[in-house]
Amino acid sequence: MRLRRRALAAIALASALAAPARAGEARLFAAPPPGSYALPPIDHVGEHVLLDAAGRPAPLLGLAPDQVALVAFVYRACSDACPLALATLRGIDRRLGADTAMGSRVRLVTVSFDPVHDTPERMGELARGLGAREAWRFLTAPDAAALAPVLADFHQDVLRVDAGGTAIQHVLKIFLIDGQGDVRNVYSTGFLDEELVWNDIATVLGGG
Amino acid sequence: MNQLRSAFALGLTALIALVAAPVAADEPCQSPYMPKLTAQEDFVYVYTLGVEGLGDGEDKLVTIGANPARPDHGKVVASVSLGGRHEAHHGGFTDDRRQLWLGGLDDSAIFVFDVATDPAKPKLLRKQTEFVKETGGLVGPHTFYPIPGRMLISALSNATDNGGKTGFAEYSNEGRFVRSVWMPEGAVYGYDLRINANLNRMLTSSFTGKTNYMRKLPELIGDAAAMKNFGDTVVVWDFHARKPLQTLALPGAPLEIRWALGPRSFYAFTATALTSKLWGVFRKDDGAFEAVELAPIGDPAKTPLPVDISLSADDRFLFVSTFMDGTAHVFDVSNPRAPKLVHEKKIGGQVNMVSQTWDGKRVYFTSSLLANWDKTGADGEQFLRAFDWNGSELVPRFSVDFTAEKLGRPHIMHFGQAAFFAAREPRAPGGDAIPADDGPRVADLR
Repeated sequence: MRLRRRALAAIALASALAAPARAGEARLFAAPPPGSYALPPIDHVGEHVLLDAAGRPAPLLGLAPDQVALVAFVYRACSDACPLALATLRGIDRRLGADTAMGSRVRLVTVSFDPVHDTPERMGELARGLGAREAWRFLTAPDAAALAPVLADFHQDVLRVDAGGTAIQHVLKIFLIDGQGDVRNVYSTGFLDEELVWNDIATVLGGG
Repeated sequence: MNQLRSAFALGLTALIALVAAPVAADEPCQSPYMPKLTAQEDFVYVYTLGVEGLGDGEDKLVTIGANPARPDHGKVVASVSLGGRHEAHHGGFTDDRRQLWLGGLDDSAIFVFDVATDPAKPKLLRKQTEFVKETGGLVGPHTFYPIPGRMLISALSNATDNGGKTGFAEYSNEGRFVRSVWMPEGAVYGYDLRINANLNRMLTSSFTGKTNYMRKLPELIGDAAAMKNFGDTVVVWDFHARKPLQTLALPGAPLEIRWALGPRSFYAFTATALTSKLWGVFRKDDGAFEAVELAPIGDPAKTPLPVDISLSADDRFLFVSTFMDGTAHVFDVSNPRAPKLVHEKKIGGQVNMVSQTWDGKRVYFTSSLLANWDKTGADGEQFLRAFDWNGSELVPRFSVDFTAEKLGRPHIMHFGQAAFFAAREPRAPGGDAIPADDGPRVADLR
């Protein structure tokens, strides 16, 4: 319970921080409009099978050719960068819920770094705590060995920093992936601007 | 409730630690998208030009011990030769700090090292030889600047005429070419590039093409026509769109760019090499930028040639090195529009790169500029010199003679730590890795 409260408190804070600007304060920059720029493929990732929040095997991407996925690697005990990632995804999730055309073409995926502690059940708790739409999927792996090829494919660095504990060092990365499995952008904290991410999604869906 | 409050406070503290980290070759000024080394560095990685007849004569990545608590302090720890001379110049870490990419300005070769498996002994992972072909003709990879999953690489020249028209390229961390962007008309020269993530703005500066930078300096200076072929612009970019927005006039080849690190500090410094002036590039209220000449560096009439700058993490001290007189100039830039010269020190017969640590307490200098521009004779000494900075003066700590060690000419420096990738508590007091900066949101908390 304590962990859940901590996670939710951190997410709430991150959500506030992730807001583009406080009331009365102008944004520091305008996100370039969708389609006004290019997002050439950076990398290519394959399909992987993980476990959904019900413990069933589920494809990581499961994309149709005209869909995109936003994939974030997090872990529940993470109190700094992960809440910021989840807050951004939650913002995107809410916008997708209000946008029928975009909503059916974007898949949000949260994958845990920590299959030992983040069981399917706990990932389900996280989803409910965030008020996630059903289309936002929360995946984990049966064990670290099953997760390793996924992390390798995404070139996501991860280091368990206290043996046997729960702290994991990682560079926060969220991946925008098109229907062909090409990585079209990668975001870390400095790039994690909801408006930029939204416009990137629209750019890729628009053929940019 | 107390529990919730403490959990919130913990979250808040963690987030402040995350976002308060000011945005490195000098550590404070590295990309905002990579972990910073905030504790005592154990090693300085020195990219070194080979010298014919000295040792094996090849370019090298040299590891120097830099921690007074270790027995290898001030000593050569390792050296990896790169198979010939490539005009070793600059390089940069990837976004996870696990790889160090190094470029050759002559043949445009790129060397990628693993610095994570054994930080004391970097291991060459691969050599990329197709930069010119892949990028559509960019030549001379200069600044290596990590962004998430990728490396931005500014170039100095082009394959068509080896002149100054150039651009920058983008590669995945695995070495896959992503795209090239050429500099805009009217501002075709390139040199450094630096991003302010909070503003979605990138600044690029301007130097000269291969024809000039591979030429012997006295010969070049005597060629009036060739001396006209230097850049005099800084370009402001919409970074996300990779589109130029503004071209600013800074006569005399503006080189290294350093953004201020404070979350509400929307300005950058640069120095013009040929005119020896310190410049500020300030964001105006309307979001556009203006270039402002701030101060002379040394005596401009003597062309001291400012070549590198390093800004402290607290935005207070700006170190400037001038090559011709081998001098370090320290400005207090607390008021960025009115810098005050507070210290000058002769570092050697010549000096090029200056890199300070995250805490600003240690400052390192190297001597080599370019193979054909370095001095000869008594002033042609080649060194890495370490100093302590006590807030008012530079105090010598150690010096490594790269000629006596038969290593070559030392150029850019990067810092490493033996335990950086080892198991530990993250973000312990005193600091280790700090994730990328996210500045302005800190101010929202204040």
